[in-house]
Amino acid sequence: MPLLEIRNLVVRYGEIEALRGVTIAVEQGQVVTLLGANGAGKSTTLRAISGLAKPASGDILFDGHSIAGLGPEAIVRLGISHVPEGRRVFPGLTVKENIMLGASNRKVGASQISREADAMFDLFPDIRAFSNALGWTLSGGQLQMVAVARGLMAKPRLLLLDEPSLGLAPVIVQAVFRIISQIRKDTTVLLVEQNARMGLSVADHGFVLETGRIVLGGKPDELWGNEAIAAAYLGGHAKTHA
Amino acid sequence: MDLVLQLLFTGIGIGAVYALVALGFVLIFRATNVVNFAQGEFSMVAAYLMVVFSVDLGWPYWLSFLIALAGMALFGVIFNLGVYYPLRHRTYLPVIIATIGASILLSNSVLAIYGPQPQVLQGWFDTPGIQLGPVYLDSQYLLIIGVTILLVLFNFWFFERTLLGKKLQATSQDKEMASLLGISVSTMIMITFIYSAVLGGLAGILVAPVLFVSIQMGSTIALKAFAATIIGGFGDVAGAIVGGLALGVIETFGAAYISVPYKDGFAFLVLIAFLVFRPQGIFGERVAEKA
Repeated sequence: MPLLEIRNLVVRYGEIEALRGVTIAVEQGQVVTLLGANGAGKSTTLRAISGLAKPASGDILFDGHSIAGLGPEAIVRLGISHVPEGRRVFPGLTVKENIMLGASNRKVGASQISREADAMFDLFPDIRAFSNALGWTLSGGQLQMVAVARGLMAKPRLLLLDEPSLGLAPVIVQAVFRIISQIRKDTTVLLVEQNARMGLSVADHGFVLETGRIVLGGKPDELWGNEAIAAAYLGGHAKTHA
Repeated sequence: MDLVLQLLFTGIGIGAVYALVALGFVLIFRATNVVNFAQGEFSMVAAYLMVVFSVDLGWPYWLSFLIALAGMALFGVIFNLGVYYPLRHRTYLPVIIATIGASILLSNSVLAIYGPQPQVLQGWFDTPGIQLGPVYLDSQYLLIIGVTILLVLFNFWFFERTLLGKKLQATSQDKEMASLLGISVSTMIMITFIYSAVLGGLAGILVAPVLFVSIQMGSTIALKAFAATIIGGFGDVAGAIVGGLALGVIETFGAAYISVPYKDGFAFLVLIAFLVFRPQGIFGERVAEKA
């Protein structure tokens, strides 16, 4: 049984159908990458899983149980942590406070959370020195580290990462992806990326979304071999199926 | 010089009341992005609760005080569920109108029960005050200042030193992200309303012996407190406290040296001056925090 299974998911924003029947499965222990151009529905898929977007139809199964229609607070308590687009680090709180709040889905005491947050800096040594800096003072790369660290504080069974490379310098992107390959040892990851090369480099499986539908899916090698993948990124009209 | 010290004491005393109400304004504004126009009525309702228990029923002052504060906590819950919660997914406009409606409903309900005659509430202490050198320290003003100092310290500790305070701050900065982390946004907003209702209630109970207990007391205090939040820098906690104190001092000096009948006018003169020359207030709006 896959850890996460999405069946025929449809999500509408008013008149617009953002997802038009998406079906994907994520196995326990895998890193799965969702690729696609802007507006293809990648972020909407993650938002539907974490409860920020309500499915119009279809189902989302986590560990075999339907979570479609649950609110975000309930879903994160089940063990799905969403690091959204734009990092969304709280600007008026410090780095350490931001990371500590990541544990809000678990029932643990403040001192325990503080210790766990300190331990988190071992995985993210670059932000240790900024522990007491306010969120708004950080650079894009630091914000991304804080956002991922905060997401991991939930001790998720499934981590949803939305565009972790967006707007970052190549050297920072590499640092972020090194962390993703470390995380995968304990956590299943569903990754959304525009950067296909980086996105697939850490993946066990990839899907290509185009205008709200999955048009392609397979192992990274298979996707690389497919000419349609390039077209899908450029927002082209790839109709070829693998 | 003696008069200056005396006026400073009185000004800070009345300014402390504005500061408490202003703090309630700011906390609700930060949590809901809406100005609560019924904030002044929180003070009025609490003062009337004191009249009910302490005057009408003749219960001990401290007991009436505790019951009134507990009543205000409950009032915060009801206010949230009745006025804010049903409209929470709407824009700010319906919520603002709802708070104005609640304000009118509250004053008229109290009017229907108690009539237009102002009520009198005794101060906490039997001694009217103490003479300290040239300055006469009114006991009620001393109480107001003392309680305000304690509350400001508590507020700082609560928001800066506790995890719950951090969750409240996170909620006011980004509700969607807070909910993604498992923070119950509706609980945080409920806590904010309870806290603000108790703050406003405390201000009302403390100032009642100085003013009269009347249905207009809420709107008078709230207008000054609102002016204080703008002078201090809207949305800023320290600004609300400094703005409130400054306003109390300014209007006390204005009344003493310029004109007593225009006492209430000075607050708004200062407000207009700030809106023209420094609209972001003393502390400015820390824009980055809202980004």
